[in-house]
Amino acid sequence: MNAIEIRNLTKTFGEKRAVDGLNMTVPQGAIYGFIGENGSGKSTTEKLICGLIQPSGGEIKLWGKDYRDQTVRSQIGVLIEAPGCYPNYSVWNNMKLQAANLGIENEDQEIRRVLHLVRMDGAASNKFKNCSLGMKQRIGIAFALLGNPALLVLDEPINGLDADGMRIMREMLTNLSRRGTTVLISSHILGELEKIATHYGIIRGGKMLREMTAEELNANCPTFVALKTDDMQKARAILERAFGRVEYDEDHGELRVFGKTTAEDVAKYLFENFGIAVSEIRTAKINLEEYYIDLMQEGR
Amino acid sequence: MNAKLQNNNFSKRLKTMLKVDFRRMFTMPTVWIMLGVSLALPILILVMTSFMGGTTVNPQTGVEETVETFTNVWQAIGSAGGAMAMDLTSMCNINLLYFLAAIFVCLFVGEDFRSGYVKNLFTVRSKKLDYVLSKTIVLFVAAVGMFVLYFVGAMIGGGIAGLSFDVAAVGATAGGIVACMISKVFFALVFVSIALTLAVVGKQRLWLSILGSLAAGMLLFTMIPMMTPLNSGAFNVVLCVLGGPLFAVGLGAVSNVILNKTSLV
Repeated sequence: MNAIEIRNLTKTFGEKRAVDGLNMTVPQGAIYGFIGENGSGKSTTEKLICGLIQPSGGEIKLWGKDYRDQTVRSQIGVLIEAPGCYPNYSVWNNMKLQAANLGIENEDQEIRRVLHLVRMDGAASNKFKNCSLGMKQRIGIAFALLGNPALLVLDEPINGLDADGMRIMREMLTNLSRRGTTVLISSHILGELEKIATHYGIIRGGKMLREMTAEELNANCPTFVALKTDDMQKARAILERAFGRVEYDEDHGELRVFGKTTAEDVAKYLFENFGIAVSEIRTAKINLEEYYIDLMQEGR
Repeated sequence: MNAKLQNNNFSKRLKTMLKVDFRRMFTMPTVWIMLGVSLALPILILVMTSFMGGTTVNPQTGVEETVETFTNVWQAIGSAGGAMAMDLTSMCNINLLYFLAAIFVCLFVGEDFRSGYVKNLFTVRSKKLDYVLSKTIVLFVAAVGMFVLYFVGAMIGGGIAGLSFDVAAVGATAGGIVACMISKVFFALVFVSIALTLAVVGKQRLWLSILGSLAAGMLLFTMIPMMTPLNSGAFNVVLCVLGGPLFAVGLGAVSNVILNKTSLV
């Protein structure tokens, strides 16, 4: 069964269409990486799923039921933008309120459990407003985890987290997913997302551009031979004639030769035919970030 | 894990929402400040005005003028007859609490929106009625506390200022004062529900809901002495005990529609 099914979802703010006929399917137990540029409609979609704003049209179903159904709503844990905590209350009191809101019976035990999961055991007595950005983010995640929800909606949860926080987050979400919890997570840190996501949805201008599994992404990401020589310009011209698609990657200062070829063939071809020596060469694969950037550029 | 789709019925939802609101109210410094002000206000008013000795000097003309100050402690609760005179005893009595209660409602509800806590509340609650009902009940309880403390403060202040406690001197009876207090307490529901609706309209814009509530309060202020005179009878009690909740139900329905139709964040 799909945890989330969205059909033709539309949300307009005055003249602006923030979400424009969006279709989206998130299978049960998936970690769904929701990717898009700023203003593409990610947060709006997440707010719509959580019932925080009203759709202008379309349909949202959670486990096959209308998203407004009370039985499904009690199964959602949410972190959208900043954590929703009273700034003058301690972390503990904030969590006690949310535990009461969820009708949790062993409140103290549950709060300790989720605070331990995000390694915030020691911060319980801190006033929320005195917590650092990273701490607030972890506390927000702990809030979302209260009561073991079956669906987690996390908007930019790794913003402000340190390396250890990101690792904890990765491990935690992977474990939750293994146990069947569905995670809808949006982030601009695609490298982190790529490590955990089982499914992806790429949104642009409020429309779903592409939806795929991690396996499909892998299949869609071409391999290439990356190399460095003393004369990159000349090498590029030669390789383009011989192999077709060749790109210069400014970030790494290397030439990328796409297509069905090997590092050995490319190096041999350059040296034997043109006397160009290759100083570095490797075979690599396009990652999510590069795939995403390519996809965005294609549409422009 | 398959979602454990449990049907949370109305009573369970209301119970958990009330638990949240009561817990929050009693851990909120503002409520204790409001209750403290409710207790201290009549003491300050009665003691300070008794020092004025019934006269004051007009700063513009320099002429000594007579001021109608409190001579009887029950004047701090209301005036008999129901008409509101524009003097100190009519302006500075228990009716000031309606404004204080309205401000407290705006602060209490506004903080839910300003802090973003509504995201937690409404993600797991599709029925906004739970929220409106719970807030009305909790804030009414707070208002009752404020009125009771004001009454206690008036007794203390009257004692300190050496004012008369003679009920008959103000044209009322003990029963009439009890009826007056019951009527005033239930009339608070009108202010609570108006402020609640305006707080829901204003959301993060606390200034808007406070200003709106004060403006609405000013319009209703002249009605209060008529509805809840010091010599109230059964009619006043019935009117307020039935009218207050009915008004709250009506405006609660409006608040519910606003929450359902507008963006919460």
